[in-house]
Amino acid sequence: MSLYSHTKIVTKDKISVEALLSAPVYLKKINGETGLNNNISDKNLHRPQLALAGFTELFTYHRVQIFGNTEIYYLKSLTREQCLTALRRVAGFPIPAIILTNRHEMDGELLSVLNDSNIAVFAAEAETTKTITLLSEFLDDQFAEQMQIHGSFVDVYGVGVLLTGRSGIGKSEIALDLIERGHRLVADDVVIFTKKRDNILMGTGQKMSKHFMEIRGLGIINVQRMFGVRAIRFQKRLEIIVELEVWDKEAEYTRTGLDEKPMELMGVNVANVKLPIFPGKNVTVITEVIALNYLLKTYGYSAADDLTNIIHREIALKRHSKSAGDPRLINYFQSDDE
Amino acid sequence: MIEQKLKIKNRAGLHTRPAAMLVKLAAKFKSDIYLERDGYGINAKSIIGVMTLAAEQGCELLVRVEGEDEQAAFDELYALFDSGFGEL
Repeated sequence: MSLYSHTKIVTKDKISVEALLSAPVYLKKINGETGLNNNISDKNLHRPQLALAGFTELFTYHRVQIFGNTEIYYLKSLTREQCLTALRRVAGFPIPAIILTNRHEMDGELLSVLNDSNIAVFAAEAETTKTITLLSEFLDDQFAEQMQIHGSFVDVYGVGVLLTGRSGIGKSEIALDLIERGHRLVADDVVIFTKKRDNILMGTGQKMSKHFMEIRGLGIINVQRMFGVRAIRFQKRLEIIVELEVWDKEAEYTRTGLDEKPMELMGVNVANVKLPIFPGKNVTVITEVIALNYLLKTYGYSAADDLTNIIHREIALKRHSKSAGDPRLINYFQSDDE
Repeated sequence: MIEQKLKIKNRAGLHTRPAAMLVKLAAKFKSDIYLERDGYGINAKSIIGVMTLAAEQGCELLVRVEGEDEQAAFDELYALFDSGFGEL
């Protein structure tokens, strides 16, 4: 059964303005609870300079509006009447929220224009560029594609390894074994992956089940309580998917590791190993080796390619001189008989 | 494949004991059984997964059963949901 057949990609089409308060930018509510229930439906931000100046065609009013130096000083350059007109014009659109950056403020009369239109107003301490960078990253994450996958997600030597396979095959037991050997559990059973930028999948647990685990025949255990903080982590990039399956005589498994077929998950290619298991096979150690092999490849070394090159060289050599030579690794054994 | 929404009827919702009943029942069958809420699907054979649904009374879960014994599996699941996990 494929990893996907029962998993759907989930994306939010809106978040509430209130959710902005959990962004990594300190935002102070300026007009109380006004507009906190408004919806944000676009991950982009907008600086409404032209809209304030009167050009409201193409005004992306559904985005969060950033009032930085330009906007504020422009309003200040106007007469009181013009200033109110400009603000009213902008507030005539259903804007979800306005953020004043750089410690800018608004007097009561201007604020009441925004209040009347039910627009939330926040003040950010940070300067405009920094606020925009942090907020954009936050909104990107909020609107990112997500997928919930049944498996165990472990950081093995710094490599994010997702163990998948049918229920009862022993994913949690292998994860537990890995934890015993000093690796760190990200999540067991329910793993939520979020697409970050175009080529990264970040995984974390579900907020309720975080670091709880079920061991068949034993029940539920709390990995963090049992093994301490060294045994867990909260997030990790997905780097390899290890598909566990019961050894199938008919199925074909890679023998060299030369022909790698990455698996596509939410449009991101992820390295993928199909691992047949049978009694007596130490899957934990093999999982560690998979992670180490991935690290070697990341640093530019592939054992399969290396051996292939050695054999090519040997074949070429033999074509020139017909002598077979000694096939042993060393030419002679030294005198100690150890 | 059988797909149908089932309602949680008992007052305490899908807490530990009902979750365990559900998982035990699901594990008896060869079919793949998934429960879905708000687009997030979980494997019904995973107790941790089922508990994270935190399904309250009145909530509807989309049940998806696929496999050789899907009809039998669905019928028993339906009966279990219908009995409110023995808590009605």
